[in-house]
Amino acid sequence: MDKLTQLGHDIAKLWGTYHASYLNGILSTLILAVVATAIGCIIGFACGVLQTIPHSKKDNVVKRFFLAVIRVIIRAYVEIFRGTPMVLQAVFVYYGLPYFTSLRFTNVWVAAIVVVSINTGAYMAESVRGGIISIDPGQTEGAKAIGMSHVQTMLYVIIPQALRNILPQIGNNLIINIKDTSVMFIISFTELFAAHRAAVGATYLYFPSATIEMAAYLTMTLVASFILRRMERRMDGSDNYELVQTDMLTATAGTYNYPGKGTPFDERNPEHENTLRQAQWDRNNDKRGER
Amino acid sequence: MQQTILEINHLSKSFGSHEVLRDIDFTVCPGDVTSIIGASGSGKSTLLRCINLLETPTAGEILFHGKNILAHGVKATDYRAKVGMVFQSFNLFNNMTVLENCVVGQVKVLKKSRGEAKENAMAFLDQVGMTPYVNARPRQLSGGQKQRVAIARALAMEPEILLFDEPTSALDPEMVGEVLSVMRTLAGNGMTMLVVTHEMAFARDVSNHVVFMADGVICEQGDPGELFSNPKQQRTQEFLSRFMAN
Repeated sequence: MDKLTQLGHDIAKLWGTYHASYLNGILSTLILAVVATAIGCIIGFACGVLQTIPHSKKDNVVKRFFLAVIRVIIRAYVEIFRGTPMVLQAVFVYYGLPYFTSLRFTNVWVAAIVVVSINTGAYMAESVRGGIISIDPGQTEGAKAIGMSHVQTMLYVIIPQALRNILPQIGNNLIINIKDTSVMFIISFTELFAAHRAAVGATYLYFPSATIEMAAYLTMTLVASFILRRMERRMDGSDNYELVQTDMLTATAGTYNYPGKGTPFDERNPEHENTLRQAQWDRNNDKRGER
Repeated sequence: MQQTILEINHLSKSFGSHEVLRDIDFTVCPGDVTSIIGASGSGKSTLLRCINLLETPTAGEILFHGKNILAHGVKATDYRAKVGMVFQSFNLFNNMTVLENCVVGQVKVLKKSRGEAKENAMAFLDQVGMTPYVNARPRQLSGGQKQRVAIARALAMEPEILLFDEPTSALDPEMVGEVLSVMRTLAGNGMTMLVVTHEMAFARDVSNHVVFMADGVICEQGDPGELFSNPKQQRTQEFLSRFMAN
């Protein structure tokens, strides 16, 4: 119990001194994860669509060669970026560029977003490809039959459906990114994990700081998965639909009939007041018992 | 001679070494209702899919208004926009409402304005009796309703010829009726139709030309009254007697 009180005390102390740094870290982590996942998805969709362009032996040589080259490039990209650690990719991109050229990333934000996006894109490319081939070929045929091109078919028919199917995968990637952006400290990007390193560097309160970090990461990922679940349900749409009635007679059939104008039951008739009063009087002086 | 809309010459199709269609010849004139009948696996559906270029024929030519669409430089998308197709499995776009299904092709392919496309779509949905369901999604409809929407979607493109690939084979007997009556009305309105079907009554009563296929070749073709009452080939006789017995 003593230890827990001590932990609470240490956390309060850390939070008191470094809360700005932690909060800043949370914000940076979230922005990086969301932006990089979004860009990664776009890369993934581009790769997925390019990979699934139909090709037949009847096409001319140039087109076939071009498509083959694209497929090889995408394949290589996916295998390389899926098969190496993101920490090293960050080092490679951030320090490799000035090593070979006179260019360098002046903004660490740009470098971090580039690395995480490319990494996410490699994973998403495969998810998207899976999403696209999981859609019934009949959908493609239906679109082709009304004269849509490959790009139109993809944009309006296949991708909206594939997107729904791979939304859980996108959620996975977002959550992985929220956690894995912590390796960006290697290029001195200051996100949530960097805040931890800064705090413990000065206070040596490793465990209390780690507790704060754990809670912060878990909160972010829980919120993310909650939002994604809501999005999934939104995309599925309602199970109900409104029948559109074109015939007004059927639309009003069986509903309330307004009493005729001027009858004692019409609310606009001045005598209506009397009708109500009479009814009230009858109810109060129920004579049925006497009969 | 009457102008043909579609002319199939010596069409063949093989999947690998397996020959599915061999030397198919027939013509379709405007206003014709042509039924293609035959046992399952005789190549009827493949023929229809070849005509819509969903399969690439191995040899032969398909003349649309006298122009070979298999020649190099002919855009398949332009041709398909003029040739409607109704599938056995409906193939409605699952991510769209009924109305959207009928609008999207007009807007994206024919480049019509949204308002005009909607108005047009409503007219065709009315023709198949599906106006109350414009806001429904395909998964909420019965098979017969889906197929009627699919017909409206094809009609909304205002095609010159409509291909039906066993439109009633996935439906129960009650729903078959509602789809067939829509097709009868279309035929009555002068729509050019090419129908692969197992509905012999439809082939006999509605169409004005019947093609009987067996083992990838056209075994016999001609006037429905003649073909049904007095088939010349033995294969045709066997097929029809088995069907009529049921």
